[in-house]
Amino acid sequence: MTKAVSGISPTRMELIRLRQRIALAQKGHDLLEEKRDALMMEFLGLVRRIRELSKETFGRLSEAHRKLSYCMAWMGSAETLQATLESRKELKLEISTRFIMGVKVPMVEGVRTERNPVQRGYSLHTSSALLDETSAEFERALAQLCELAELSEAVRRIGLELERTRRRVNALEYILIPQLKSMAAFIAFRLDEMERDNFVRLKRIKAMLERREGGA
Amino acid sequence: MPYKIAVVGELETVMGFGLAGASHLHVHREKTETLRKLKEFLSDPEVGLILLTATVREELAEELEPLHRLEGIIPMVLTIPDHRGYYPAVDELERLVKRTAGVEVILK
Repeated sequence: MTKAVSGISPTRMELIRLRQRIALAQKGHDLLEEKRDALMMEFLGLVRRIRELSKETFGRLSEAHRKLSYCMAWMGSAETLQATLESRKELKLEISTRFIMGVKVPMVEGVRTERNPVQRGYSLHTSSALLDETSAEFERALAQLCELAELSEAVRRIGLELERTRRRVNALEYILIPQLKSMAAFIAFRLDEMERDNFVRLKRIKAMLERREGGA
Repeated sequence: MPYKIAVVGELETVMGFGLAGASHLHVHREKTETLRKLKEFLSDPEVGLILLTATVREELAEELEPLHRLEGIIPMVLTIPDHRGYYPAVDELERLVKRTAGVEVILK
């Protein structure tokens, strides 16, 4: 249990310093553990939201693709492609960042992807109403995809932070704290041993003095 | 600051999002070309979100990995199913969950 640890001197000062370090490490460990648990909660909450949202979004996307293929069948693929090229491409996203538990995550604000057919910019009299429906469907899908992207990025970052935090918790719990404790135990053992030495020595001296006095 | 949306994928996907107003489009035909384009999108300060179909992502998986790690918060990269609805059963999220939680987590 108390193996000799090289490089430390078994003094009372050293023992006091070690005890302080253990207390500090323990405190850090507790704090990090709390952070880890909080991150885990956040992480799982996000995972759940992503799973729900991605199911819905992917369903919408496949619906959009179905509409697009109808549209291509109805209007011809060359004409549909033409309309795609004509479509006004001015969609903008507001992305800012915020912090969850000290982790920087992106935040997409107020995505307004939906437009009316006139705003889209393709020629209305050469295109079918199906094209409008297709566009609308893709616009809706895109709005959800933006949200999904925001959540995915957040979950990725929180996941990384979680891993890092856990590694630190484990390093403290299984390496640093046991090491410090065994050092402290070693010093305490040596100090006790020295005290016993001293005690015996005093006893011996006292006995010797008594004997000398008795003889004299 | 307003950002634009980039889409990389098959013709159908690119067409659809083109209709919806995405501005940076690339139709995937050939690996090196797509990769070059993706790097361009990733380093473009205008682009805030890159949509990538699952098919393309898998094809470029090895080359994409180091790119994805370097990238900051913006642009975000999201993998979406392609026009046939293909999407890997074990996606990034599942892998991340498994790695960080250590177990597969099933949330109802």
